Amino acid sequence: MKLHTFSLCLFACTACFEQPAPGLIDSNIDTLFNPRLTLFLDAQIGSQIYFFAQSRLDRGFDPSDHGAQVRLDEYALRVTPWADGRLTVQIGKFATVVGNWVPRHLSWENPFINAPLIYENVTPIQDKSAPVSPLYFIYGPYYYEKYAFNPVIWGPSYASGISVSGQLGKFDYAVEMKNASLSSRPESWTVTENGFDNPTFSSRFGFRPNQAWNLGLSASEGPYFRREAESTLPPGRDIDDYREFVLGQDASFAWRHLQVWAEFYEARFEVPHVGNADTFAYYVEAKYKFTPQLFGALRWNQQLFGTVSDGYGHNVRWSPDLGRIDVAATYRFTPHAQLKFQYDFQHETTGPGDDNHLFAAQFTVRF
Amino acid sequence: MRRQGLLWLNAICSLFPATLLASAIVEGRVELPKSHSAPVQAKRYEIVTKGGVLSTQPPLAVVYLDGVFPLPAPLPVKEVAQKDLTFVPAILPIQLGTKVEFPNLDDAYHNIFSYSPAKRFDLGRYRPDERPIPTQVFDKPGLVILRCDIHEHMRGLILVLNTPYFVMTDTNGHFRLNGLPAGHYTLKAWIDSRTTREKPVELKSGQTLHVDFP
Repeated sequence: MKLHTFSLCLFACTACFEQPAPGLIDSNIDTLFNPRLTLFLDAQIGSQIYFFAQSRLDRGFDPSDHGAQVRLDEYALRVTPWADGRLTVQIGKFATVVGNWVPRHLSWENPFINAPLIYENVTPIQDKSAPVSPLYFIYGPYYYEKYAFNPVIWGPSYASGISVSGQLGKFDYAVEMKNASLSSRPESWTVTENGFDNPTFSSRFGFRPNQAWNLGLSASEGPYFRREAESTLPPGRDIDDYREFVLGQDASFAWRHLQVWAEFYEARFEVPHVGNADTFAYYVEAKYKFTPQLFGALRWNQQLFGTVSDGYGHNVRWSPDLGRIDVAATYRFTPHAQLKFQYDFQHETTGPGDDNHLFAAQFTVRF
Repeated sequence: MRRQGLLWLNAICSLFPATLLASAIVEGRVELPKSHSAPVQAKRYEIVTKGGVLSTQPPLAVVYLDGVFPLPAPLPVKEVAQKDLTFVPAILPIQLGTKVEFPNLDDAYHNIFSYSPAKRFDLGRYRPDERPIPTQVFDKPGLVILRCDIHEHMRGLILVLNTPYFVMTDTNGHFRLNGLPAGHYTLKAWIDSRTTREKPVELKSGQTLHVDFP
């Protein structure tokens, strides 16, 4: 049995930014129109074998003003030997098992247009070259060339690899081995670009006491530098010596027309010439259906950064702390078409204290 | 004395449904569409297409007598359950004004909703053990398409009819409608969301009429 689903998503945003666009919007202009056509394929052979794929025609994985491109973002083969779901093996290129945002990251399921802060806020971490000094790391050019830098988790992280997952009563588990770290950029996710020489291991363990609650603990560990960074590392070191560690806690609650999600992440990057760079980020998100066709959502995000030595005897924060509030409303015209509006206000609570505003609208049609 | 006798006769008659006093029968067969494969459940993202036409699986039809009939006494409560990530039954014909319960018999949340003009509603998420079981009263005739906001492949149908005379066919398309009032009516066969066939019928008391919908 085969099934094809098309999804056409139009994203347009206007941002008042004297600074670069917020998040992973890769644009130097202050308005952006980003149409996206997505093709899904789902195939089921018997009750044990399932295959899915997702390809996209758009202006880049992250909203950008670059030209059109076609990508195969996801493809995976899944085998479930037993009907009770105790074990599932999946191989391919697919979203990470970490956290609870990924299963609802697509336009139709996500009450917002963008991702929570932890999935899109670029930090001074750079995967293509090592910083030459602590000062360069702290005050480097990431603010103006942000696409060269990395967030803690890059979107849904469609890296390649294998996962083992299953459900045992009220508990569920998922473990994966991927070819790229959670912070790695989309170009690193394909096996042709990045092999399994330096794999990343991630896992999530979930507990569902009843239908309303879902609690999870996640962890991930793996090197985050790309191969081209090797020549910039200190002598005698290789990319396997610098790793990203992530611990995550997630919770969700749903009852009647209310849904609430929260994720908390503690992350550490081992940075050449700097040491350990720690950050903590979280968000709390709520969605409420006012009518069968209209729902609203509110999300509070915050990311706090630890301190590192600047090389001159001072400990300084390696990036400004910031908070962001997101407000969105969605109207579903039919089971196949919806219109979403969103406003974000982001404020740096330390450092320069910059503000950033984002207005966005998204129209999605699916067939 | 004569008037008293008429009152007794009237009282006795009122105890019998009109359908038993003037009972006609229609039977026949509806040519059903071929079976189609069940939709694939998108297990990760739950986005599944239905190809536009909604029908039951295996195909079934609803045959009903269209006309103007008096409203009956309170109608029995009907049920559409969610079991094994499907709606059971897949199609439920009901009379206008019927209350339908939606029990969740799965160990997972469902979120039933309908955007159909005949009935727009969203029951939200509720546990299997929650009481009272969420209900809806269907007070406008038409087809109501049930969906689940969590399991995109789930589809159910409620056909709200402005008549008390309806029956489901079997999987071969055979049907038999009993207890029909005599008179001139239109017999209709609902086959899927795009196809309803109809035929005029003249029903006579005590007669069995054979009608096929090719």
